[in-house]
Amino acid sequence: MRRRSHILRHLVMALVCALMLIPFYWVAKTAVTNENIYAYPPRILPLKPHLYNFVDVWYLIPFARYFANSVIVSLIAVAGNIVFNAAAGYALTKNFAGKRIVVLLFLSCMLIPFQATIIPAYLVSARLGVLNSYLGLALPLLSTIVCIFVFKAAFEAIPASLQQAARIDGLGELRILFRIMLPLAKPAIATNIILSFIWSWNAFLWPLIITRDVTMQTLPLGLARFLAYVEDTTGALYAFVCMVLLPGIIVFLMAQKEFIRGLTSGATKG
Amino acid sequence: MNTAPPQRAGVAGSADAVAPPVRAADWYRRKRTREAMLVACFLLPSLMIFFLYRILPLGWNVILSFEYWSPLKAARFAGLDNYAEMFLEDDVFWQALTNTLIFILASPIAILLALAVALAVNSDLKGAAIYRTIIFLSYPLMSVAVGIVWRWLYDERGGFINFVLRGTGLIKEPIPFLQSFGWALPSVILADIWQVVGFYMIILLTGLQSIPQHLYEAARIDGAPASARFLRITLPMLRPSLFICAVIGILNSFTAFDLVYVMTGGGPAHATELLVTHIYNMGFGETRFDYAAALTVVQFTLLVILTFLANRAVGGNAGSVESA
Repeated sequence: MRRRSHILRHLVMALVCALMLIPFYWVAKTAVTNENIYAYPPRILPLKPHLYNFVDVWYLIPFARYFANSVIVSLIAVAGNIVFNAAAGYALTKNFAGKRIVVLLFLSCMLIPFQATIIPAYLVSARLGVLNSYLGLALPLLSTIVCIFVFKAAFEAIPASLQQAARIDGLGELRILFRIMLPLAKPAIATNIILSFIWSWNAFLWPLIITRDVTMQTLPLGLARFLAYVEDTTGALYAFVCMVLLPGIIVFLMAQKEFIRGLTSGATKG
Repeated sequence: MNTAPPQRAGVAGSADAVAPPVRAADWYRRKRTREAMLVACFLLPSLMIFFLYRILPLGWNVILSFEYWSPLKAARFAGLDNYAEMFLEDDVFWQALTNTLIFILASPIAILLALAVALAVNSDLKGAAIYRTIIFLSYPLMSVAVGIVWRWLYDERGGFINFVLRGTGLIKEPIPFLQSFGWALPSVILADIWQVVGFYMIILLTGLQSIPQHLYEAARIDGAPASARFLRITLPMLRPSLFICAVIGILNSFTAFDLVYVMTGGGPAHATELLVTHIYNMGFGETRFDYAAALTVVQFTLLVILTFLANRAVGGNAGSVESA
């Protein structure tokens, strides 16, 4: 009887997974389809699969430029996240006056969705003179509250005797953080990298607001622009979608565990 | 240990207090100021970012909402004019508010789906990890790309959904899902559920795994049927996770901007307009920053009220984030 319930559950799960995967398949299929993509009934398997659409993407839009912009912004965001979050997380392991207030402040900031700040955030960036620049694109993403707490938890798990030993040896706090604590908190670093990378890689609304030139636009913007330009008429759009989704999928599959740990620790621990 | 007041931390927790007693107080004071400086320096970058891009905007929104202001024009006090316009004259606002509420009210459906999946995946099922990965895969992907994927699925001619519905004989004529006033919002919501359901599942799985097994064993010994075990143990123990899911569902009405922007642009005839897209259009389409700020204040208030209600609904203090 137990066996039968297992088979039933496998069937249900297989169905659910199929529903989750069909959209990917449909787009991938369209991207390699040669014939008219509007033909009815659509073919389930492409007749003569080919990669022309992917080549088209290179000619129709400055894909390399969008890609480079996305990579640069993400690199800035990831670097900022590691340094700033580690520093803040380390500070939170210490006792100091007003610590409760700082923690409370961080936690309440988490409830403010970025989308609810766009108007003043734009004005702030304008005053700082970082509109339409890489720094401006990355600035709001440079620190993540969830990741600060991930670092704090990781540092607290490191035996205090190590810090004391380092201090007796005359290491300064900055060195203790970078030479002793960070190397021992590799899982926390991985979580930081993956979370901040995915968030900056996918960011759309913020770049939409603060970039003016095509030369500064990131991949999501390029995608939206291309969509507005060609509508749904060409398979190249779906080739573009595949080219954008693939890096995300690969990064996620490589670091799934760290990603999920970051999300759940953020969600369950504040 | 962390809760000890900082004044006493130096004296009480010192095993190395062998220094001369007269100098000790002095030494500790200096050490304390040095540590305070250090903590401040370490916290400063993060605090600056959150101040500039979270806290300051929150206040600035409120101020802007009571002003007539646009770039290049001096601010004038507007009183409640922006709000009066919103509530009395702006039909799009009411449409967007309704749509946002529908969007939020649809999230329990996704949460229930996720709960069912989480329960199935949580057990001793072989291959559960693979199922989990596949279901979660859509969450970390770029919403703009996901929006285009779903646009294509809903397409009248080349779309998978119309293809299946027509192929199975459920409909005779293709439905232009995203172009029809009635279908557009449910269609966008379905795409959103597809993307976010894996996240709910992960949260609920973490919750399920934190339930002590001995509760179930005790219940089994007492002869409680599976339904009772679920209702009396699983559900109550899952309340914190369910609350988090509810909050994510509420926040989702903000983050769905990308999907709506790409799939329908708020149309047709504002059928899929959300508050967040209306804010964007007002602010950056029509450069009415003051009015957009007022809209933001209303949406943020809505968010706080709904979060509070969700907290009450799961029995209070479920989101006791303080214990972090």
